[in-house]
Amino acid sequence: MDTIDYLLRIMPLFLKAAVTTVELASLGITFGTFIGLFIALAKISNNPFLNYLGRFYTWIFRGIPLLVQLIFIYYALAEFGIEFSAFQSAVIGISLCGGAYIAEIIRAAILSIDKGQMEAALSLGMTYGQAMRRVIIPQTYRRLIPPMGNEFITLTKDTSLASVITMVEILRQAQLNAASDFRPLENYAAAALLYLALTTIFTIVFNKVENKLALSE
Amino acid sequence: MISVRNLSKRFGSLQVLRDVSLEVAPGEVVVIIGPSGSGKSTLLRCLNYLEKPEAGEIMINGERLGADPHDVIRLRSQIGMVFQRFNLFPHMTALENVIEGPVTVKKVPKEEAVDKGKVLLEKVGLGDKFSSRPSQLSGGQQQRVAIARALAMEPLIMLFDEPTSALDPELVGEVLAVMKDLAKEGMTMVVVTHEMGFAREVADRVLFMDEGRIIEEGKPEEIFTNPKNERTRAFLSKIL
Repeated sequence: MDTIDYLLRIMPLFLKAAVTTVELASLGITFGTFIGLFIALAKISNNPFLNYLGRFYTWIFRGIPLLVQLIFIYYALAEFGIEFSAFQSAVIGISLCGGAYIAEIIRAAILSIDKGQMEAALSLGMTYGQAMRRVIIPQTYRRLIPPMGNEFITLTKDTSLASVITMVEILRQAQLNAASDFRPLENYAAAALLYLALTTIFTIVFNKVENKLALSE
Repeated sequence: MISVRNLSKRFGSLQVLRDVSLEVAPGEVVVIIGPSGSGKSTLLRCLNYLEKPEAGEIMINGERLGADPHDVIRLRSQIGMVFQRFNLFPHMTALENVIEGPVTVKKVPKEEAVDKGKVLLEKVGLGDKFSSRPSQLSGGQQQRVAIARALAMEPLIMLFDEPTSALDPELVGEVLAVMKDLAKEGMTMVVVTHEMGFAREVADRVLFMDEGRIIEEGKPEEIFTNPKNERTRAFLSKIL
């Protein structure tokens, strides 16, 4: 009985922390997807400068651990007078790192579209941009869903890394409670289950979307 | 209408076109034949700059192609292209495929494009397939949609790159029939094909290509009954 009473008592704190986790994940995923799309297009373009930029971006943000990026953004940039709140740092770090992975996913999906599609679009007199927007990108949606679902789940879990830059999200909340109340079992179990619940929701939503797109094609 | 002078193109160490020159008059139907790897498709693809030639000059309707990327895009909208593997847009219906060019490139109002698109699909015998996806159509039907899609841009010239080579034999006729109608209407056409019957019946002129060169050209009856060049003769004896 004692355990249940305790869990009910900490529930409001955890719900608040879960909202923060969801905010970090959704903002990171949203910005990460925009960055990823831009970097993917840069990498497949014929412009050497954009190519180089895309490769450089992936090299940096995929090559350095997200944990190190977060600590660097929050603690080290301050020395240049660039100061971000813990929340801002977390969103920036997750977006930049997620963008690098999402770029590779989008690039692979675009390259998997038959070359004849681009040729047919160009032969109608479309510009490269029109061909991408109207013909190529819409065909990638269905192929994007499985790897994107994977990446969104990874990013959601990776928000837990923000706990080291004082961001009170699910894991940090569990650490704080566990330390103050000497109850690690209840708190870390609650944290684990909350993450599992969030990723389960993602899995269900993505399966639904995948089925829907499969039907429409 | 089309004037090609001294066109050359190589893929790596492979010289695919050697100093090719060609004139096509308005309303003329030119059929290019030749063994695979002879450069016929590459020549055709150079005519709308899907392949960039290394040397030589292409003039379309008096305008030089390739001088400026914007000109390339504008001239392409006046040159219809039909591909061997159709290349229809699979995420669009037949009608959406046909109106895509006019709406996106020419900014034609959608209702107007839809009306014209329906007329074109009816013309190629697909009046009952407006809302079918390419995956629901046979190869012959897909290729006819592709022809309608190219015609929707109201091109001055139509290029056909082996339009029946990917089709089951019983579906070839329906596509060739549409192409014959087009030729009768006076469309300027350049056709790469292995359909000698079509060449004989419809072509004003037949070009025989081998190893990146135009070896022989003439009226179909001359080429088919009395080829002058030995290689033309050898090629025709194998396929006729």
